[in-house]
Amino acid sequence: MADSRHHAAVAAPAATHVVVKDVAKGYPGVRALAPIAFSVQPGERLALAGPSGSGKTTLLYLLAGLLQPDAGQLCIDGRDLAEMRPGRELARLVGMVHQQYDLVSSLPVLHNVLAGRLGQWSLAGSALSLIWPRERHLAEEALARLGIADKASQRTSRLSGGEQQRVAIARLMLQSPRIILADEPVSSLDPALAEEMMRLLVDLVEGSGKTLIASLHSPYLIKKYCTRVIGLRQGEMQFDLPAADLTEAVLDRLYDLDRRRPENGAIRQE
Amino acid sequence: MDWGGSLIHSGGGGAARTFFLALFPPDLSPEFLRISLAATWPTLAYAVAGMTVAVLIGLPLGILASGTVISVPRLRWPVALASRFSLGGMRAIHELVWAVLFVAAFGLSPLVAVLALGIPYGGILGRIYSELLHDVPPEPLRALRTAGASPVRQLLYGRIPLALPDMVGYTFYRFECAIRSAAIMSFVGIQGLGYQLQLSLNDLLFRQVWTLLLFMLVLVVLVDQWSSLVRRKLAS
Amino acid sequence: MEARERPTRSASASPKPGGVVRLSMLGLLALAAASWGYLVFGVDRDFPNLLAADTWQGAGRLLGQMLGRDSTSPPAYTQWDRWLETGKLAYQTLTMSVLAIGLAGIGVLVTFLPAARNVSHGGLGGASSRPWRVLHHVIRLVYNLTRAVPELVWAMIIVFFLSPGLLPGAVALALHNFGIVGKLSAEVVENLDPAPSRALRAAGASNTQMLLYGILPQALPHFLTYLLYRWEVVIRTTVVVGFVAAGGMGREFRLSLSYFHYTDVALLLMWYMILVTGVDLLSALLRRMALPPPVR
Repeated sequence: MADSRHHAAVAAPAATHVVVKDVAKGYPGVRALAPIAFSVQPGERLALAGPSGSGKTTLLYLLAGLLQPDAGQLCIDGRDLAEMRPGRELARLVGMVHQQYDLVSSLPVLHNVLAGRLGQWSLAGSALSLIWPRERHLAEEALARLGIADKASQRTSRLSGGEQQRVAIARLMLQSPRIILADEPVSSLDPALAEEMMRLLVDLVEGSGKTLIASLHSPYLIKKYCTRVIGLRQGEMQFDLPAADLTEAVLDRLYDLDRRRPENGAIRQE
Repeated sequence: MDWGGSLIHSGGGGAARTFFLALFPPDLSPEFLRISLAATWPTLAYAVAGMTVAVLIGLPLGILASGTVISVPRLRWPVALASRFSLGGMRAIHELVWAVLFVAAFGLSPLVAVLALGIPYGGILGRIYSELLHDVPPEPLRALRTAGASPVRQLLYGRIPLALPDMVGYTFYRFECAIRSAAIMSFVGIQGLGYQLQLSLNDLLFRQVWTLLLFMLVLVVLVDQWSSLVRRKLAS
Repeated sequence: MEARERPTRSASASPKPGGVVRLSMLGLLALAAASWGYLVFGVDRDFPNLLAADTWQGAGRLLGQMLGRDSTSPPAYTQWDRWLETGKLAYQTLTMSVLAIGLAGIGVLVTFLPAARNVSHGGLGGASSRPWRVLHHVIRLVYNLTRAVPELVWAMIIVFFLSPGLLPGAVALALHNFGIVGKLSAEVVENLDPAPSRALRAAGASNTQMLLYGILPQALPHFLTYLLYRWEVVIRTTVVVGFVAAGGMGREFRLSLSYFHYTDVALLLMWYMILVTGVDLLSALLRRMALPPPVR
């Protein structure tokens, strides 16, 4: 906890981007997130680490506006997230990469990419675009930058995992939000694809002052691609460090279950 | 239960034998085949026209009944329940009962038969569409939401594309049923296979009856094959 | 990122998605256009002008007559004894539907195993012989024929042999639904997981034992579910079959319409809705019992 206070003090003077003020969230019978507070500067690449059930996904969903906090306040550029209109306004500020990319498998790749513009298009424009694609050049440029320009008119379900990952990134490029959230972006990938995914995400934010917040487990990826890491456990913040200062010992303590959970033995017997 | 004396007509057994023997062979004379073929087209046409009405009824009501597009929470469930109720009312009544009532109200015309077919089929399609649209996997929709898509845009870019293969498959299956329903519209005086069949039955021309039954068989099997081909392609 | 340097190919170079599906959709559109064209221009009778006032006056008049607005005597649905009288017919109609489903069910139970390709062709490790394969094709043909002919047409034919009443209607309904449920049940068996049957066979089970223990337990819940779904359709159709087979409410419905007893028609429709709703609810309940949720 001492670490986090130290970090917040250093960050205060610059134009603060994301501020999480004592935010708490629970589900029936479960406390998902204890009151938690931190802020993130533009251009930071923040990793959220912690065992499953530690509140990483809840925190990301709160930032994406998919969940509302029970207590506390989430602010982006000084504006309360709860007062922003979902869709149009929020989509310009916050975008998200999901665990399985979660594309619409039966649509052609082109429309999955253009879906990044849905927050800005009128309803009639969105509907007509399914027949006569609008702003096609944007999607084609994005796909070309990612090296899959030839896939534009294929059914998304026919693509490989690595290609689908690029389609999800292309959608994010069209949405072009200031803050990019990534929920376990590499959890189901082999090491080579995982590195590529991280490189794609970093390319997206680097040099444009955009912010990346991703849940990650691998200390190697955290150190290589992130600038800062927050450790979560059972909804509480355990540490908040510059990524370079992350050591195996710190991470082991975060994930170590045996010593801290007395009921663990009972679970094993099942 | 009182069966009212004998179950079989006097002479019913003989009639049955005559009827089944008439299958060997059915009437395959060129002029009757021509009549049968000519009677197949109206049956198919009424079925197709009825299905277009059914889709036009079933799609909008099914979307509303799925409770997934209206973002105002206070309106969503009243609208969904009203849609479900009206779909239920449409499919509660058999297409021929609709036809008899419509003929009494409007007089006999092709439109009456098409509407009588389209209304109960629309009720069935709407119910199935609403279930399919409702049961779409939530993850792609959540991803669209974080890209800024409203519920209606999520419907257009997520729910409908994801449910479409099943929706098309089911519609095709109902098309096969609609052919049979179109054939019995002869009961209110609509042309087609059923009409010819009634004429042949009245004249006790059982060999012609078998020819017409075989035409129905071929028509239904052809549509069945077509629909399972399309369903297989959509599933892959 | 070396891939970025790859030249952009135009979208037209990509393969065509789903040729069969696209052709089918175009075919359906053409069929729809031809059908509407035929109905609007090719049929002698005129379309009623739905914008004309007298079209709707006709409908309004019918509705008024059904509600008993024009008649001097009180409408049928306000009289308790008429409710009872019609209720008896509704009960007959219900009996007809149960009888039909029962007959269809028995017919399917006797035939659906040889109708399944994997049973009759030895795909489950059973014996395959020529008579079994012939039987398979014969049953499938009978399924297709009985399924392809609508209930009402069967009824029109059957009244030549059977005395008017509940039975011809029930047999007509049973024939059609025998074809439908038979086809569906045979397909269930064809899609069954073959592993349990093969294991039984390996353990030395006879053909009959394999069918009884390996296939029937898996297939029966589906069979019952289909039968109950069809019951919901049958109850709607009994009235229609009654038009010609003279059983239950159908005959009364037709007579009331032709004698312009419109309040009777209204009362019959009310009973019809009660029957349909009741059977839908009962069937949903029984279906839940037939297919219990998987045990955790």
